[in-house]
Amino acid sequence: MNLVEADIAIVGAGGAGLRAAIAAAEADRGVTIALISKVYPMRSHTVAAEGGSAGVVQAHDSLEHHFNDTVVGGDWLCDQDVVDYFVAHCTDEMVQLEHWGCPWSRKADGHVNVRAFGGMKIERTWFAADKSGFHILHTLFQTSIKYPSIRRFDEYFCVDLIVEDGRCQGVVAIEIATGEFALVAAKAVIIATGGAGRVFLQNTNGGIVTGDGMALAYRHGVPLRDMEFVQYHPTCMPGTGLLFTEGCRGEGGILTNRDGYRYLQDYGLGPPDPWPRNKAMELGPRDRISQAFWHEERKGRTITTPHGEAVYLDLRHLGARKLRERLPQICEIAEHFLGIDPAERPIPVRPAVHYTMGGILVNIETASPLPGLFAAGECSSIGIHGANRLGSNSLAELSVFGKVAGASAVAFARSVAATPIATLERQAQDVERRMLSLIVADGGSERPAVLRDEMARSMEAGCSIYRLGAEMQATCDTIATLKERYHGLRLDDRSRVWNTEWLAAIELGYQLDVAEAIAHSAINRRESRGAHQRLDGFDTRDDASFLKHTLVHYRPDGPPRVDYGPVTITRSPPGRRAYGVEAERIEQTEEASHAA
Amino acid sequence: MTGPRPYLRPAKTAWWAHPPYLAYTLREATGVAVAGYALVLLAGLINLASGEEAYDAWLNFLKSPWSLALHLLFLIAMIGHVWTWFQIMPKTMPRLVIGGRVLPQNWITAAGLAVAMAAFVIILLVAEWMQP
Amino acid sequence: MPPDAAAGAASREIAIGVLRYRCETDQRPVWQAYRVPFTDDMSVLQGLQYIKDRLDGTLSFRWSCRMAICGSCGMMIGAVPKLACMTFLRDYHPGPLTVEPLEHFPIERDLVVTLSGFIKKLESIYPYLIPSTQRRLDEGEYLQTPSQLARYETFSDCINCMLCYAACPQFGENPDFIGPGAMALLQRYNGDSRDAARAKRMELVHTDNGAWSCTAVGYCSEVCPKQVDPANAVNQNKTKSALDFFVRFLGQPAHSRTGASDGGPP
Repeated sequence: MNLVEADIAIVGAGGAGLRAAIAAAEADRGVTIALISKVYPMRSHTVAAEGGSAGVVQAHDSLEHHFNDTVVGGDWLCDQDVVDYFVAHCTDEMVQLEHWGCPWSRKADGHVNVRAFGGMKIERTWFAADKSGFHILHTLFQTSIKYPSIRRFDEYFCVDLIVEDGRCQGVVAIEIATGEFALVAAKAVIIATGGAGRVFLQNTNGGIVTGDGMALAYRHGVPLRDMEFVQYHPTCMPGTGLLFTEGCRGEGGILTNRDGYRYLQDYGLGPPDPWPRNKAMELGPRDRISQAFWHEERKGRTITTPHGEAVYLDLRHLGARKLRERLPQICEIAEHFLGIDPAERPIPVRPAVHYTMGGILVNIETASPLPGLFAAGECSSIGIHGANRLGSNSLAELSVFGKVAGASAVAFARSVAATPIATLERQAQDVERRMLSLIVADGGSERPAVLRDEMARSMEAGCSIYRLGAEMQATCDTIATLKERYHGLRLDDRSRVWNTEWLAAIELGYQLDVAEAIAHSAINRRESRGAHQRLDGFDTRDDASFLKHTLVHYRPDGPPRVDYGPVTITRSPPGRRAYGVEAERIEQTEEASHAA
Repeated sequence: MTGPRPYLRPAKTAWWAHPPYLAYTLREATGVAVAGYALVLLAGLINLASGEEAYDAWLNFLKSPWSLALHLLFLIAMIGHVWTWFQIMPKTMPRLVIGGRVLPQNWITAAGLAVAMAAFVIILLVAEWMQP
Repeated sequence: MPPDAAAGAASREIAIGVLRYRCETDQRPVWQAYRVPFTDDMSVLQGLQYIKDRLDGTLSFRWSCRMAICGSCGMMIGAVPKLACMTFLRDYHPGPLTVEPLEHFPIERDLVVTLSGFIKKLESIYPYLIPSTQRRLDEGEYLQTPSQLARYETFSDCINCMLCYAACPQFGENPDFIGPGAMALLQRYNGDSRDAARAKRMELVHTDNGAWSCTAVGYCSEVCPKQVDPANAVNQNKTKSALDFFVRFLGQPAHSRTGASDGGPP
C-alpha cells in the first residue's frame, strides 16, 4: 500500500474542491494539500454547467433581493443565516475568479455583463458565453497549478474514509492506473465529490456523478440532509437528458406545447407578455416549470418522441446570429443529436434530473458532525438551496463555500496532532481486502449494469416530479432488494489495471445507499414543498409540521432512520411563493403598506 | 501483481493512405517545384550572360515539347503552392479583431488570392505590352 | 448525415471492431469484434456503453459528460481522432467501424492512453494570469472590452481532449514537442489583455520543442471539436518568435506589451 501524509486531503477536484485547495494553500503556505480525484480535474462535472454564476452587481440590485429570491426559491427551507453569508460573498468570489483569468462575457464598456435567470428578480448572473462552468473550472484548475503545496492525485478513486479516535483522519483510494491502494493520512478531509443525479434514469449529469462522497460520509454516521429534494431541470434532451441551459430562456426562449401555446401561463406564472420578464413565465423557478410539464403531459398536450413526451423550446425568434453568439453549445447539441437548427425549428425538451439540493449535513463553516470532515459544493447541504435551487446559485456556492472549506480545514488541521500513519494502516488494509473481494467474487451472477438500470428506473418512477406514497414505498422496497442482490455481483473484469467495471461496481454501492436515502426521505415528508411534490393527499405545504430539514441516518442492516432538524429563520417568515403577475401584486401590496 | 505495462504502437508509415497527410506532403512538394523553377530562371540568366548563341539555344530549348511539359507541371505546382500558401497564411497571423468581431480567416485567404490573381494579370499585360 | 426523424423506430445493427489491450494477459493490442444494435441518435460512446453493459464488462474507456465539454472520450474512430460522444453510429452503418485509442500516446488499457505527459506540458507554460499590477477584490474586475476578449476567447475553449495531438505527425515523431493543445493555452494567456507575462512564456516558444517543431500540417485544427484552431496558436507564435529573435539580434531587449519583463507568481 502506498502511504501518503498530508495536512489536508480533498476528495474531488471540481469547482468546490479546487477552490478549497487554493484557499487552503493561500491560508497557509506551509500546509500540504492532497487533492484526490477519480478523474483529471478538467473532467469534473462543473465543466458542464452552462448558464452562469450569481453575484449582485447592478446599482438597482441588492443583497436583500438576492436573499429574498433564494429563500422564496427554496420554499423557505433555507437556513437564512447561511443565505445571508452566501449572498454577501458571491460578488467578491466572482471578482476573484475574474482576477484569476475567468473570461466572463463583457459589456461594451469592459465591465462584466450579467443576465436574467430563473427565479431572480434582477439580473445578477455572471456568464462566460454558454460555458460558464467550463470556464470557471479551467480557471480554477489552471490557477491551482501556481501553488506548489497542492499535490494532485489524478485518477485516484476514493473508496473509504479513515475514522480513528472519533475523528476523520484520512482516506483510502485506488490508483486507477495500477489498481494499487493508497492511504492518504490527513488531519482534515474535505469532501467535494458532487451530486448523485445518476441514480435516476434520465439526467443531465456526467457518468461520474454517483454520490461517492455522500455515501462515504453517510456510512460513517454523518446524516444526509434534505435528500428528497431533487431538481428536475425543465429543458433537457429526451433520452440522453443532455442539458439545454436556462440561459436559453434568459435570452428570451419560450416553451410551447403541441398546440404552439405558451402553457406556463396556466400555472400561475403568467401573463405571457411583455416578454422577457424576470420571475415570470419561462423565467420562473425550475420546480414550477417542471411541474407544469407534468400536468401538460397528463392533459395530453405534449408531443411524443421516441424517448418520451416532450414540449418545445422555441428559440427561432432569437435569430441565427444571436444564437451562434450567445448559445453556441445548444446549437451544436441540437444539430448533432437531433438534426435540428434552433434558428429554424423548435427543440423538443422534457425535464430530467439535474441537481441534488440535499447532501452531507454541514454547518456554516462547512464542518460536518464528524470532527475533521468537511464538505462543500453539491455533495453538501449547507442550507442555501432549501427545497429548490435557483439557477446560478450553485456555481457561486462552489466558490463561496469552497473557500470557507479550505480555510476551515486549515484551522482544524492546525488544532490537532497527526496520528502515526502505521496506526491508520490496519484500517486501510481492511478496506483493501473488502474492495478486492468484489473482483474475485464468484458465487453470484448479477451484472452491475442490470442492477444500476433497475435502480434508476425505480427512482424515476417513484421519486419523480410528482410523488405518491405507494410508488415511493415500492421504490424503497426495490432499493432494499437491489442492495441484497448487490452481494451477488459477479464481474467480467478480474484485472487490476484500469478495471472500470470494478470501479463502477463500487460506485453502484454508493448509488444504492444514496438512492435509499432519497426514497426514505421522500416518503416521510408528508407535504409538498419546492421540488418535493405529492398527489396523495399531501399536496400542499405544511409549515406547522414540516418546516424542518429531513435527516437520514445510515443503518448497516436495514432501512435508514429518518428524523428532523430545525430550519434557521431569521427575517423572512414563510410566505406565499408567487411568480408572474401574482408576485408583482404581492410586491405592490407590500410597498403600499410600507409607504402607509 | 504484474503492474501496468503501457504499450507504444509503432508509428504508422503509410502516410499516403491518410488524406490529410497526403495533402500535406503534396503541398510541401510544391515547394520543391518552386525551387526547381528558380533553377530554370537561373539557367536562363546564365545563358543570357553567355552570349547570343547560348541564349538562342536556351530559347529553343524552352520551346521544345519536353520543356513545355515541364513548365505545365511547374504551373500546376505553382497554382497549388499559391492556393495552399494563402490557406495557411492566416494561421501565421494573430487574430484581427475589428468592431468586436474576429476577422474570418477565409477573408484573409480570399484577399491574398485576389492579390495573387491581380499580380498574375498585371505581369501578363506587362509582358504582352513589352512584346516587340 | 442528419439523423432520421423516426430515430426510435426499428433498430439496426452495426459491426464494431475495438482495439483491446490488457497488460496482464496481452503482449500487444488485439482486435475484438462486437455487434451493436443502434438507433439514429446513438453516439459511438453509447455503443461502447452497450458493449460494456451487456456484452463485455472488461472494456475500459474514459467518459463522463456525453456532450463534448469534458474532453474525456477522445479516440480514433474510423482512423480519425474524434470524441466518441459526438460521433454517431448512423454515419458508419453497417460497419465494421474501427475504434482505437488515440494515436501517438502509449496505451495503458484498451481505449485508455497515458495523459501525464500532456498534463506536465500544460503545467509548464505558466497557465495562469500574471497581471502587471494586482487589483484588490474591492477594486472590482479588470476591464476588458468584447474586442479584447475576442482576441483570445477561442483559445480558451480548449477542452484538453488531445485529438490535436493524435492528429499531429510531428508530435508522433517527437513526443517532447509541446504540441498544439498546450500552445493554444499558452496563446490564450499571452493574448489576454490582463496578462503581463508574455516574455516568460515566449522562452518556451523559442525552443526546438516549442513552436519550431511545427511544420504547419494544419490537421490539428481540422480535428479540433471546439474550433480552437491550435494551428493558429502555434504558427502565429513562430512569427512572434522570429520577430523576438530579430529584435534581440539588433541588441534591443525582447519586446513585451506592458514593459514588465517578469511577473512571477505572487
